[in-house]
Amino acid sequence: MKEKLCFQKGDIAAIAMVVFLAAIVFACFLPGINDMAAFVEVYQGGELIERFPLSEDREFMVTGDYVNTVTIRDGKAAITHSDCPGGDCMHSGWVGASGRSIVCLPNGVEIRIVSDDAEVDFVVG
Amino acid sequence: MIALALSLSYIERFIPLQLVVPLPGVKLGLANIVTMIALYMLNTKFAYTILIPRCILGSVFGGGITGLAFSMLGGVMALGVMAAAKRVRWFSVYGVSILGAAAHNIGQILAAMLLMRSVYIGAYLPYLLIISVFTGLMTGIACAGVLRTLPNAFISASPEVRR
Repeated sequence: MKEKLCFQKGDIAAIAMVVFLAAIVFACFLPGINDMAAFVEVYQGGELIERFPLSEDREFMVTGDYVNTVTIRDGKAAITHSDCPGGDCMHSGWVGASGRSIVCLPNGVEIRIVSDDAEVDFVVG
Repeated sequence: MIALALSLSYIERFIPLQLVVPLPGVKLGLANIVTMIALYMLNTKFAYTILIPRCILGSVFGGGITGLAFSMLGGVMALGVMAAAKRVRWFSVYGVSILGAAAHNIGQILAAMLLMRSVYIGAYLPYLLIISVFTGLMTGIACAGVLRTLPNAFISASPEVRR
């Protein structure tokens, strides 16, 4: 029991496993990141509801259980206001790279940056 | 212990870890300390009976139904992994805690993927996993501290129960 309370060599293996897994998942999502970001797609409950070019500044609302205000400015998008509990989506900040997304879980909303040739499939191992 | 876990998970909502790391779902996992102590001092079954009411009551207090799906899938996965990791001889409390934290994140992301029907959310996972090494280490330190200071008599009396 006692040795279980001290940091052991095996724990380093535990850390290494987690970091390794992180690297694998990261590599899975790597393709597509360098594509030219062109559009902002708004999904709600898994369905595409809006699609705007990143090049035009605009502000719009996404209404569901809660209301998210999405702002597109200078080729980047952010959820600038939300009345959902937590407000994680606002804290996510601005995204402008293809493949990046902002999620508001309470509202079931995902803001996704996509490149020109939209429908890219990702395979997650 | 359920009450303790519940209050810890409520308190950590007010710790603005998101300001340091702007990712959804980042938290310290304070309630996991209680789950781990239950796992070490009592048994796996007991840990589940603390975890599940905690998740349900936690969602009543402010997570909502979506919150329930997340904490439940994350929590069950974390406990499953921790129970398995505990049996591995070369993992201490720290290793178990880190693996549990990582499993919790994987569970959460899986719940998010199912809920949003989008694999893109998986892109958050690497960041969450890296952070879980640190949060897992912290809860591991807290857990080791508690296990060390609790009466030795209780610990030495518990091996039969633990099996």
